[in-house]
Amino acid sequence: MTAQDIYKETLLEHYRHPKNRCDGPIQDADATERGANPRCGDEVEVAIFLHDDTIEQVKFRGRGCAICIASASMMTETVNGNSVARALDLCDQMRAWFDPAESPAAVSLPHSLDALEAVRQHPARKKCVLLSWEALAGAIAQSPAR
Amino acid sequence: MSLAEPSGENWTPLDPGAVRRDFPIFSSATAHRLHYLDNAATTQKPGAVIDAITNSYTQHYAPIHRGLYPLAEQATGSYERARATLQRFIGAGSPDELVFTHSATDAINRVASGWLKPRLRRGDSVWVSRMEHHSNYLPWQRVCRETGAQLKVIELTQDGQLDLLGTPELFGERTRFIAVTHVSNVLGIENPVAALCARARHHDIPVLVDAAQSVSHLELDVEAMCCDFLAFSAHKMFGPTGIGLLYGRADRLRDMVPSQVGGGMVDVVGEGGEESLWAQSPARFEAGSPDMPGAVGFAAAAHYLVGLGRDRVRRHVATLTRRAAEQLSALADIRLLPHAELPSSGIVSFTHRALHPHDLAQVAGEAGVAIRAGHHCAQPLLGGLGLAATARASFSVYNDESDIQALVAAIVEAQKVFCA
Repeated sequence: MTAQDIYKETLLEHYRHPKNRCDGPIQDADATERGANPRCGDEVEVAIFLHDDTIEQVKFRGRGCAICIASASMMTETVNGNSVARALDLCDQMRAWFDPAESPAAVSLPHSLDALEAVRQHPARKKCVLLSWEALAGAIAQSPAR
Repeated sequence: MSLAEPSGENWTPLDPGAVRRDFPIFSSATAHRLHYLDNAATTQKPGAVIDAITNSYTQHYAPIHRGLYPLAEQATGSYERARATLQRFIGAGSPDELVFTHSATDAINRVASGWLKPRLRRGDSVWVSRMEHHSNYLPWQRVCRETGAQLKVIELTQDGQLDLLGTPELFGERTRFIAVTHVSNVLGIENPVAALCARARHHDIPVLVDAAQSVSHLELDVEAMCCDFLAFSAHKMFGPTGIGLLYGRADRLRDMVPSQVGGGMVDVVGEGGEESLWAQSPARFEAGSPDMPGAVGFAAAAHYLVGLGRDRVRRHVATLTRRAAEQLSALADIRLLPHAELPSSGIVSFTHRALHPHDLAQVAGEAGVAIRAGHHCAQPLLGGLGLAATARASFSVYNDESDIQALVAAIVEAQKVFCA
């Protein structure tokens, strides 16, 4: 069994105990955005709480596979406390990271996302990883900070 | 070549080990033995099919219906013999009732746009069932939207059957067409298509049967089934990918408009804006250079299946399906989709209480167990069941008990990984 090659322990830990995940509706956020993958039924809602140009907190809720949930959890940990511009840059870099036409060397992501590296070998799971990141970009686009 | 099946007192169960030796993919060197349980999506190819295709390129390749030299005549003969083989395979009255298409999807689209659309008016009804694959749902939805007709859905009863009693309007005077699958690609349920077709014919309502999911293990007889159209693809019955078949009753095909025009399908081309005169079926519906190697491979697959004995195939697949359903339902967190216990059609769909089907399929894949996860191109059905995705194991002639055990072991492993 080499499933652990894709399901790194860090990733599994985020799946079993997701950070910044809410069970019910997320109240009083500055902006929220939903993302869905109808092909597998995965659905996440990402909410951001701003202070000026800083994302003080990102929360999410939803259902999905281990990779979708772990990626959302890692996203919140990585983005919390960053500027809106940096968060958008991270969204772009995540897209580039999973784009076969891009050179991985051109992408520099924080180590908090290292556990997603193995998923890049499985293009079928790209959407699972990017779902929460796309929702984050969507939330930022609607927020007063833009 | 005859299509004689092993029968009578010579009947012995299928030997999946011997069958596996017919399929080169199972002898290629990989880390794991391949437990291929995605047969409802596509089947592996036996050497007999691969060789037939190769031979058609290496020994008798030339244009079809276009050349007067010996090689072209041989190639044309191969193509038409393939059609005749498939005619006998499905019990059609004439080879002219068989049209080679690119896929089952292509065949259904041609009937929707070429036969039904010119006849469909606002207020008419077209019926499909709740358990249709998107390929037997969307073509009808589209012609209805284009013409103002209504697409209606035969719902399922509690026990997963087509609710024909609860659908009295099905055979009503507004109904112009019924399209229904022979076997559900998610539930594995076999529909009583012969009875449905008989009733429909009594009301002069044409029926298309989607046989994509049944052709590999159920014997088809279009005359006995009484259908007007039948569609299936080669790749789900051990044949090549990229070719399918449309059966249409002779009088229905006479009234069908070719959805593509071009070389080989016309008798007299009108000058300028004048009307052209189409060839008769099947040439009328086969514009462009025919896929002779594909047709030859398709026919070789039919011969292969008949050689195995379709009754033996049906029993083998039914036994495995039942065994898999038993063993999976013994796992506490696995829930089978309704009626998966029916010993029918090689398909067991299931969900796990805690695990997403994608994660199950990924871990299974790492262990060499190929299963499908997703909505199986049947969103109307899964939506009706309140599900977004399921895992699906589907069985065929080369599978055996060890494949079921490998699947169960993979699920147990996935539980260890995710539920620790």
